[in-house]
Amino acid sequence: MAIRMEERERLTGVSDRLLDLYLNLLREIWEVVSALIGESVLSLLFRLAIQKAGEKYGFLGLLKVTEEGIWMEGLGEYRTVTPSEIHRGFQGLINHLFNLFSALTEGVISREVFPKVFPKLREAERILSQK
Amino acid sequence: MRFIFKNLNLLRSTLNAINMSFEIKEIVESAGTHLPNLFEFSAFGLLWKETATLYLYQEESCPPSFTQEVAQNMVRVFSLLGEEPNDLNQVTLQVEKRRLRPDHMKMDPKATLKSYLTLPLTIEEEILGCVSLNSDQSNAFDAEDLQFFSVIGHQMAATLKHFQRFSSIKTIAIYDPLTNLYNRRYFEERLTGEAQRAFYGGSSLSLIMIDIDHFKKINDTFGHTEGDKVLQEIATLLKSSVRKKDTVARYGGEEFVIILPEAGLEEANMIAERIRKLVETTLLTIGKVQMNITISLGISNFPIHRPKSKEELVRMADHALYEAKRAGRNRVCIFRES
Repeated sequence: MAIRMEERERLTGVSDRLLDLYLNLLREIWEVVSALIGESVLSLLFRLAIQKAGEKYGFLGLLKVTEEGIWMEGLGEYRTVTPSEIHRGFQGLINHLFNLFSALTEGVISREVFPKVFPKLREAERILSQK
Repeated sequence: MRFIFKNLNLLRSTLNAINMSFEIKEIVESAGTHLPNLFEFSAFGLLWKETATLYLYQEESCPPSFTQEVAQNMVRVFSLLGEEPNDLNQVTLQVEKRRLRPDHMKMDPKATLKSYLTLPLTIEEEILGCVSLNSDQSNAFDAEDLQFFSVIGHQMAATLKHFQRFSSIKTIAIYDPLTNLYNRRYFEERLTGEAQRAFYGGSSLSLIMIDIDHFKKINDTFGHTEGDKVLQEIATLLKSSVRKKDTVARYGGEEFVIILPEAGLEEANMIAERIRKLVETTLLTIGKVQMNITISLGISNFPIHRPKSKEELVRMADHALYEAKRAGRNRVCIFRES
């Protein structure tokens, strides 16, 4: 079914906000966790989580990670992804990341990061419900 | 503030100790010695992927069930990183027990793993293994422990990577690529050490020089590829016939040499004769033909032949080899003053 022009623009606006929110969240996670375990181990964990979540949500492959940090390439390609898919994809990625954190250090990392993640996830759900 | 400085100093000395290590066991020992100053733990583990070995440095009262649990957990976490070994059966366990706690804090025989910190040893995007701190106490580690442990893990990864590079360079430098025996350079180096030990310590030292009989004919008849195979087969036979402390090297071309520390003339002669017979009776496949090859051997010995230097010891063995050739090949000759 074809989507009307104004509807497409509205959805794109939601996607952009979600994208912005999740990228900021990943950067915050990076900042906190890299101070705990160092950039080289963290970039490895990010790559593993992206690879795993990317099996289901291919658009996550646009995320690039090095020891310098995390960023996204080819932003324009997100235009084809629906806001709820973006939301689910990033949620999956964060879940995988937290699974790795827990497997390695039980609750030590999660305790430090969770206070930052929880409000952002709530905000993402709010953005999504407004669409 | 004083507490932080104290910890930083302890961290610095731990990193120095790791950095000064020359082999993986030393890293584990250094870490095991220094880590109790920084953390309270029951077992420290290092899983080295290259050799699938798990080194555990643990409190002496650790019950075997706890050791097993720690090992299993480390392998499990490592496999979550998509790495092998992913099964404890594939891992060689090396356990060092040390007294890490006072008597009144000895571990319960039924103690179980309650908390741990595990970090991958990663450098230049390569995972070399993982390290782990383990405790039988709940919530034994906090964020500050993790920060300290990650710095230590990073240093270990860098040192292990250095070992890896060094060991591949060492392999190139000391082995003959065709036969996998030590090369001549390594032989010279080893002989210097053994000669010094014998000349100044008064122990025996024997040398056997070996040459494949009619090797040129083999090369001319069957080609160099088959000739190379013969060299490899002979090298394998030599390696299988000597004692653990002996050094077998390719001296050059079709010549080999064996250093036999603490071997008297009689023992050296017995080993040489055993090698000669083994080669003579082993049927080798050369091209499409099966045939027997023979070798000639020359022996020299300190102190019986009274060499004044290692070079003279080599010359004497070479001279004896020449005598064996002259006397009709396929025999062992002991050096004699002419």
